[in-house]
Amino acid sequence: MDISLFGKTINLPSDVLAAWIFTGIIGIVLVVYIWKKKKLPVIWEYMRTTNHRKIGTLYILFGFIFFLRAGLDALFIRSQLALPNNDFWVFQSQKYSEVFTTHGTMMIFFAATPMLLGLMNIAVPLQIGARDLAYPFLNAVGFWLFFAGGMLFNLAFFLNKAPAIGWTGYAPLTGPTHTPGVNTDYYVFGVQISGLGTILTALNMMVTIIRHRAPGMKLTRMPLFTWASLITSFLILVAFTVLAIALYLLMFDRLFGTNFFTTNGGNPVYWQHLFWIFGHPEVYILALPAFGIFSDVISTFSKKRLFGYPAMVISIVMIGFLSFMVWAHHMFTVGLGPMANTFFAITTMTIAVPTGVKIFNWLFTIRGGVIHFSTAMLFALGFIPSFVMGGVTGVMLSVSAADFQFHDSYFVVAHFHYVILASTILGIFSALYYWYPKITGYALDEKLGKWHFWLFLIGFHLTFFPLHIAGLQGMPRRVFTYDPGEGLTAINFIATIGAFTMGISILCLFWNLFKTHRKAEKVGNDPWDGRTLEWYVASPAPEHTFDPMPIVEDIDPLWVAKRQNRPMRTTDHHRIAPLSKSSILPFVMAMCLFLLAFTMIYHLYWVSAIAGIGVLACMVIRSLTDERKSFYRSINWL
Amino acid sequence: MKKLAVFLLLPLLAGCSSITVLDPKSTTGEEQAYLIWFSLGLMMIVLVVVFVLFARFVIKYRYTEERKNDIPEDVKGNLKLELTWTILPIILLIVLAVPTIAITYNQSPKMAAEADDGIDIGVAAQQFTWTFSQPNGKTDQNKLVLPEGEDVTLHLSSKDVIHSFWVPALAGKIDAIPGRTVTYEIKHLQKGTYRGKCAEYCGTQHTNMVFEVQVVSKKAYQKYLKEMK
Repeated sequence: MDISLFGKTINLPSDVLAAWIFTGIIGIVLVVYIWKKKKLPVIWEYMRTTNHRKIGTLYILFGFIFFLRAGLDALFIRSQLALPNNDFWVFQSQKYSEVFTTHGTMMIFFAATPMLLGLMNIAVPLQIGARDLAYPFLNAVGFWLFFAGGMLFNLAFFLNKAPAIGWTGYAPLTGPTHTPGVNTDYYVFGVQISGLGTILTALNMMVTIIRHRAPGMKLTRMPLFTWASLITSFLILVAFTVLAIALYLLMFDRLFGTNFFTTNGGNPVYWQHLFWIFGHPEVYILALPAFGIFSDVISTFSKKRLFGYPAMVISIVMIGFLSFMVWAHHMFTVGLGPMANTFFAITTMTIAVPTGVKIFNWLFTIRGGVIHFSTAMLFALGFIPSFVMGGVTGVMLSVSAADFQFHDSYFVVAHFHYVILASTILGIFSALYYWYPKITGYALDEKLGKWHFWLFLIGFHLTFFPLHIAGLQGMPRRVFTYDPGEGLTAINFIATIGAFTMGISILCLFWNLFKTHRKAEKVGNDPWDGRTLEWYVASPAPEHTFDPMPIVEDIDPLWVAKRQNRPMRTTDHHRIAPLSKSSILPFVMAMCLFLLAFTMIYHLYWVSAIAGIGVLACMVIRSLTDERKSFYRSINWL
Repeated sequence: MKKLAVFLLLPLLAGCSSITVLDPKSTTGEEQAYLIWFSLGLMMIVLVVVFVLFARFVIKYRYTEERKNDIPEDVKGNLKLELTWTILPIILLIVLAVPTIAITYNQSPKMAAEADDGIDIGVAAQQFTWTFSQPNGKTDQNKLVLPEGEDVTLHLSSKDVIHSFWVPALAGKIDAIPGRTVTYEIKHLQKGTYRGKCAEYCGTQHTNMVFEVQVVSKKAYQKYLKEMK
């Protein structure tokens, strides 16, 4: 659609126009709501907060909003592919490429990763008896960087400049010669900024877990989710740094004419190496925290200690370690030679061993227990068979000669959706139902939760199981249509039905959230008869927790205390807790970086310079403030 | 052993013979299909074990009114069991690794153009067409004619971005990358007309970067070579 504005004609496709109108309506409704209910102070508070639970909530909130956006993209993809030679709305060639690029990028970087970081933010300090993360200010910076990156990436779509390069952004297609527009720059800068935030949060998490555990909480007594968060943070530190470097080099190629990823002195395959050295650990960055969630949930709702705790921890560490040695299995068809193809096939197979150990230990945790089918537990139980199905196709993919057929076909699409949805997404849902009382003080409705679970699980298998066959039938990924004669019609139609079933299940979740907050029925500290420290503090977790500080004497300290009918022992001797003081600086800093990136995209370097100075100024101000001063004075240190 | 495995999987094969990749038209493709079946067979063992245990445990240990006040026994672990499910998968994977290595070593695309026997075909990819050149210099766009029963060695290159050459019915895919030539051998082709596609996203018209492979009799192939260039 052409729109005339200030004498200029702007071409606005109908999908972008629809998005503007939709967002506009939502925006007006929100503004009216905020005004009427006088919620402005709440927003101002959250903009300045450095409290771990509140930042965690923000992470989950915005992660979820981006999840909806990316999910909507998935429905567009499936609508276009429902029938052969289909012409659904605008989603062919350019627009289709944009929509699968956004779907992948948003799901990985702006939905799954931040929602997991949010859960870590909320649960890890509560599980180990810390009053906050080690660096509350840095935590806020991390979140607002993610927010800025996500907003920048989304902005591209609203300006009709969404990237069309696939979430993997393979060079030389992403180079200045083949995608000269600003579209690809939005990908580079959006992912870069939010990745920076992710690295900062990972550092924070590591220091918190190492330094701020309650007395008696030895490493060997930590809940599995905390263990998984620790290992994940190490993975993030290494993997996201590699990604940052790759994006940095790509930025130079695009903006300043260097040749890192061109054939003109560089090599496009370098991008693939860098990307997958990040990309494969990223798979485990998404999966490990989910494994941690399932360990805690399965143990809680089986009323039984986790089976083989040491093996569970060791296998997480092993998976984390091995995840850095398998990246080239994404590149079997590049022609790295028989030696590399064999080596990476073997290392990839090895990962199946610690993963298998985990599966069997979960099964034997259930064995002999009393299984309570709460919604959280249902998601955890649904995970086991679904994930094993994704796991076995993973082993099949590691067989490199067979991978020549699987690679970049719908078989791979089916495989990675099986593993990521089964682990990360089911994990996030499980955690949402499990920890919702700790976040808001209310428990989500169980009946609607069950609708959500069953519809999602059925939709998930209905979508992705047939897609294995589509791949073997010869359907490559990232194509916007197929011929009626290829025998793909029925498969694709079933997959589309499945995708919409998942969509409906998300509506159930919405209704559930609405209903729960309508009812506003407080639940106590410990609605699930929990085992670990987070169920010892109030729901929702207050800003000042663990006073007095409990002493941890077991892997499941609260459970043991409850069984022995005694309160938990407490102490006044513990490490000084981090101080969380509100500040608007993290927000300002992220907005400066947003402006910097936005002006870099449009080559307005002098504005970028000013924005850069803004970031630097924030850093200087921060360096000169010490919120602990009053505390030091109170104990006469100064 | 190979024959035995194929024999065991025969009933399954019959049901899936219409699936392109599992009904290959070259020796190379047959080896790949064999690996797919073999790995799937091994993995089915894992799948069945997990599903059976899962179903049994979930049903047997579910919460019921009678078990309302049950507190499960405090089990920390079981070394023997845990060793079992560490060692058995390792053995399973070794069984899988042997044919994987054997076939992969044979089939892997190579960087340097080596003197292979068989017909040398040049494959030049470019957004969004394929140019195939025959040994005698004849070129054709989006149409590749090959003789039945022969081995072919593909020499793949790209003029712009990365593409991937894939004829699902014949064999696995291989990337065409700018700035280098990769060779890939497909052995013993069977007669027929097959659909070929670009399998690496290469731009907005990626979907339309398709081609046709015609494997014809040797006589017809010779005739094709002599036709007007």
